[in-house]
Formats: sequence, C-alpha cells, structure tokens
Amino acid sequence: MLVVTCPVCGVHGDETDFHCGGQAHVARPASTRPENVTDAEQRDYLFIRHNPKGLHFERWRCDRGCGKWFHAARDTVSLEFKAFYGVTELPPVELMKQATGTWAEFFKDKIKAGKAS
Amino acid sequence: MSDPVFRSALAHRNDRNSVPGLSIGLTEISDRGMIDLRGAASDKKFAGAVKDVLGVALCTKPRSSASAGDITVLWLSIDQWLITCPRSAASDLHGRLVKALDGIHSLAVDVSDMRAIFRLEGDNARVVLNKGTSVDFTDGTLGAGSVRRLRYAEIAAAVHVISDAPCVMDMYLFRSYADYAWSYLSKTAAKASEVKLFGVQVGIGV
Repeated sequence: MLVVTCPVCGVHGDETDFHCGGQAHVARPASTRPENVTDAEQRDYLFIRHNPKGLHFERWRCDRGCGKWFHAARDTVSLEFKAFYGVTELPPVELMKQATGTWAEFFKDKIKAGKAS
Repeated sequence: MSDPVFRSALAHRNDRNSVPGLSIGLTEISDRGMIDLRGAASDKKFAGAVKDVLGVALCTKPRSSASAGDITVLWLSIDQWLITCPRSAASDLHGRLVKALDGIHSLAVDVSDMRAIFRLEGDNARVVLNKGTSVDFTDGTLGAGSVRRLRYAEIAAAVHVISDAPCVMDMYLFRSYADYAWSYLSKTAAKASEVKLFGVQVGIGV
C-alpha cells in the first residue's frame, strides 16, 4: 500500500483514494516544433516509457479528494515517495540530478538554470 | 407539458424510513437543494459576487464548510464548492447566482437531484464510517464543520460533520449509488456488527 500526500489540498491518504497517471515529464515533440516531427519521435512520445529501477517520476490525481493532478517522485525499489510537487512544477534540484533516461535529458538545462520550480 | 417531480432514490425500499436494529441513527435527507459552483477563489470579483448572493464568503481552507442561515457551503476542491439550501429555494438561489456571476469566468449548476444525502447520528457513527473507508474518522482531525471527500465502500462520497457532540454527519453520494450505500450502511451499522475493540470505547470502563 502506498501512502500519498496531495500537494494541492494536503490530503494524506491511501493509494486507493488516488489515481496514478503514469510517467511524468514526457515532452511532446509537436509542442516545441510542430513542423518537424518524425514518426519515430511521435511513436516514442506516445508509447515508449522509461521503466527504471529506482527513481521514477510520475503523475497522480487526487481522485477522491480535490480532483487535481500533481507530480510525485517515487523509488520503484523501496516504494518510498521522495517528493510531491505541483503539476506545473519541476522536482527538487537534487532529484533532477539523479534522474535517468529521457528525464535526465529533459531536466538537463533546468538544473543548469538553477530552477527549482 | 409535464413538470419534473422529485422522487427519492430510496423510494422503492421498504426500509426507507427506518432500518431496524441499527447502532446509529440513519435517515435520508431529501428536502435539500444543491448547487455546484466552480470558479477561481483568487478572483476577487467572483468571490465578492458569490458572497453578496449567499451572505457568506466561500470557504477556501481545504475540507471546511461555511454557513449563513439555511445556506451551507461545502468545500469540494480548490475551485469547487457545493452550496446546499432548502430544495424549494434552490432554483431561486441558482438564478441569483447565475445573474451575479454574469461575465465572470465561473460555473453554477443546480444539481439538487444529482446526489442523495444520508444523515448518520450517534456515538457509533464514526466507527461505522471507518468500516468502509481508509480515512480514520476517529483520529480527531475531522471535527465539526469538516468536509471530507472519500472513497467509501468503493464509491465516491463526501461526509460533512455537522456537530461533534452529539455526533451528526451528513453523507453525500451520487444518486445511483444510494440504494447500494443504504444497504451497506444497514449491514455495517447493525447492532450485531458493532465494533467493540476499536477507537474510543463508549460505555466501557477502563
């Protein structure tokens, strides 16, 4: 059982009160350069997900509470939540530094800019 | 033209008015109107217009409620409230809200028939609710005035704690679940299924 805290309304509860929305921070190629999106990029955006052993960034919804979406960083081995943060926010800098796969690429310039949110 | 007539979601049940052998008081409240209101709480024009109509400011603290006269505002989300009033006054109140909110990005809908309301009364009510949800109603965090949306017996519900002593709580759930929830409450609140060794012990000398 996972115990989740909603950063929007602060409710603290069992995972059955929430809904997991899969991998977070998936960049949509068509948002940045709609004129030049290859089939392979679009395929990766739609279907290819990162499945690391360790730190995982994911989206959650406060399903039986305030109904808002938010982000969470969770360790897939220990199932421990490392952070909860808003849907328009980035994870804490130290977690961005530990990110793997496409996340590492996505966070790269954001860490440099020193942006915590 | 035929006029819509309200019919209780429990109208087909024989035990609608009283369920025998319960450890709590369980009644249906069918004379309450409800208006669903959405808007940005940070928008001063929106908050001001709503306050003018209702006579009470919208509660912005999570899981709280506010009331003035026979109007009660329940917090549902950071941008959503459920306004309750007498069923006969709902249509008029809704009309005044829509008029006051004209031109402001918001939404007010009369949802009086969307949900069924059950009233739970008595010392045992919190323990009975605990049987159906992961939320702990006996940990002291949900005092009078609290509103908690939760997953109750696998369905979506909201509980409004009216008062603590005596314990009175209103449960709001979607109309289509009313029959199921009434059956579930009838079983879990039966005297025979009372929980003895849990939470605050009532009537047992320690």
